[in-house]
Amino acid sequence: MAEICCEEAKSTPATAVAAASVSATAAAAAAVAVASSALERRRRRLEMRRFRVAGDPEAPVAEDVRAAKRQRLARTLSSTCPDAGSGSGSDSDRPALPERLPRYGVTSVCGRRREMEDTVSVRPDFVPGTSKQHFFGVFDGHGCSHVATMCQNMMHEVVADEHRKADCSGEETAWKAVMERSFARLDEQAASWATSRSRDEPSCRCEQQKPLRCDHVGSTAVVAVVSPTHVVVANAGDSRAVLSRAGVPVPLSVDHKPDRPDELARIKAAGGRVIYWDGARVLGVLAMSRAIGDGYLKPFVSSEPEVTVTERTDDDECLILASDGLWDVVTNEMACEVVRACFHSNGPPAPAARANGAALRAAENGSAAAKGVSVEDSDKACSDAAMLLAKLALARRSADNVSVVVVDLRRGI
Amino acid sequence: MPCLQASSPGSMPYQHHGRGVGCAAEAGAAVGASAGTGTRCGAHDGEVPAEAARHHEHAAPGPGRCCSAVVQRVAAPAEAVWSVVRRFDQPQAYKRFVRSCALLAGDGGVGTLREVRVVSGLPAASSRERLEVLDDESHVLSFRVVGGEHRLQNYLSVTTVHPSPAAPDAATVVVESYVVDVPPGNTPEDTRVFVDTIVKCNLQSLATTAEKLALAAV
Repeated sequence: MAEICCEEAKSTPATAVAAASVSATAAAAAAVAVASSALERRRRRLEMRRFRVAGDPEAPVAEDVRAAKRQRLARTLSSTCPDAGSGSGSDSDRPALPERLPRYGVTSVCGRRREMEDTVSVRPDFVPGTSKQHFFGVFDGHGCSHVATMCQNMMHEVVADEHRKADCSGEETAWKAVMERSFARLDEQAASWATSRSRDEPSCRCEQQKPLRCDHVGSTAVVAVVSPTHVVVANAGDSRAVLSRAGVPVPLSVDHKPDRPDELARIKAAGGRVIYWDGARVLGVLAMSRAIGDGYLKPFVSSEPEVTVTERTDDDECLILASDGLWDVVTNEMACEVVRACFHSNGPPAPAARANGAALRAAENGSAAAKGVSVEDSDKACSDAAMLLAKLALARRSADNVSVVVVDLRRGI
Repeated sequence: MPCLQASSPGSMPYQHHGRGVGCAAEAGAAVGASAGTGTRCGAHDGEVPAEAARHHEHAAPGPGRCCSAVVQRVAAPAEAVWSVVRRFDQPQAYKRFVRSCALLAGDGGVGTLREVRVVSGLPAASSRERLEVLDDESHVLSFRVVGGEHRLQNYLSVTTVHPSPAAPDAATVVVESYVVDVPPGNTPEDTRVFVDTIVKCNLQSLATTAEKLALAAV
């Protein structure tokens, strides 16, 4: 964590300059492009070396190049092109593993708050027995970090378990039930954390209290399951998921603020109150109307997620999951624009190409905040985008932890 | 005004529109106008147990002020409860929302000044508090908030611990009452809802803590 904070502290002035003017932003983008060019050359050398070690240096490379060309031709000329069939055939010969991995970037920084209470979970192919379903989650804890850490460690397993039980074939109602049961299970787990905490879990401040009392601790949870055909999002709290489609932001979640009209009505109907005390708060205490945990504020603060199931299209560019440390100071539009710029400056990702980003390495070394991410799985452009968004939030004086996940949803590359 | 006391540890706040017993600034103003300054506040009569009532008496709050009292029953002997309440230097022993506590002056006796840092998620960062009363014979503790980053100005709290009349050796009644300014932009009712939520949460935690202490002692 210290490395991340130090790195951010050093980077903030430059980012502040970038935030101050359009030309500076352009300069920053150019700098990113230059850096990525150097990284691109290094990446190609690494790939060549890998193929050489495989003992069949020429064919795979050539095949990749030819396949890429065919794909481009196929897309340009549409279905009338006679090469489309052979392009598909060529695709089927490619190694299965690289093709199944999602392309994403993660960053998670402490920022100006004293303690880190955000966690991120990335679990490619997280449902045993099925492929091409990938789990992404951002959890913004409050009161302490252990509920967010528990969600990081368990949410994907619980969703996979509920998915298996439901024999979920993708219908919207089935996914809604899977997510609602998963969130309820995590909420119950949070409530019983004090009595059921296993000895090997990381310690936190609540552990110092005897007996353990932690029903004042909670976490947001915004979770996405990405498959080849759909994006499922489940959200409780004020973190957020946004899809970029043809450059236009499409919210896949709506923040649970206590003064959202339907949330306000629900809280009042339950006998609670929303009081403006440094913003709208449930009973004047908590600034969100839904969360995992927070037993002392139930039933006013609910753990029931809102679930959306969105069919993917060829216009989809990326999915962004982030905590309110980002969204409080960056609009959906600006976030999508930043990712788009990073995609352009990095060029289209090669099918099997993977590069590690400094941000990701820092995140992995600094804390457990980004557990489940492996360096090889990260796409350069997504990592750049996630880091740039976090820096932008810090430059705009976000007062909170900032966690960002960027998933590349582009098809046909 | 009707009020339900917390009937057991872990009971949900506001289950039946329950809230601390308090009085509005308007009522306080009316009483003040009719009888002059210094009139005692009668808002808690009938709710605060008789044996504790005299410790919770205070002047009727004038305009811009409000008061409330929260009552918590604990299934543990009074001595066990008091041993937890009286540790002004260790609020985290039973209070929630405490991230850390540092003594700025004193060692736990009257005059001790503590700086409490608050956990994230709340509309407060810290609270600086001075111990005004620590009466080990009458089981009375009082503290005043003298600073910190929060919106509660001129907060004065009194906590009493008394054996329950129904089961003096096995049960205790804890009362925490307070008087505080109403922050700009809020109503007395807002203020009581906010503070009572925190106080109720802490007293429920106290009950759990003391009951476990008593069990361990058996």
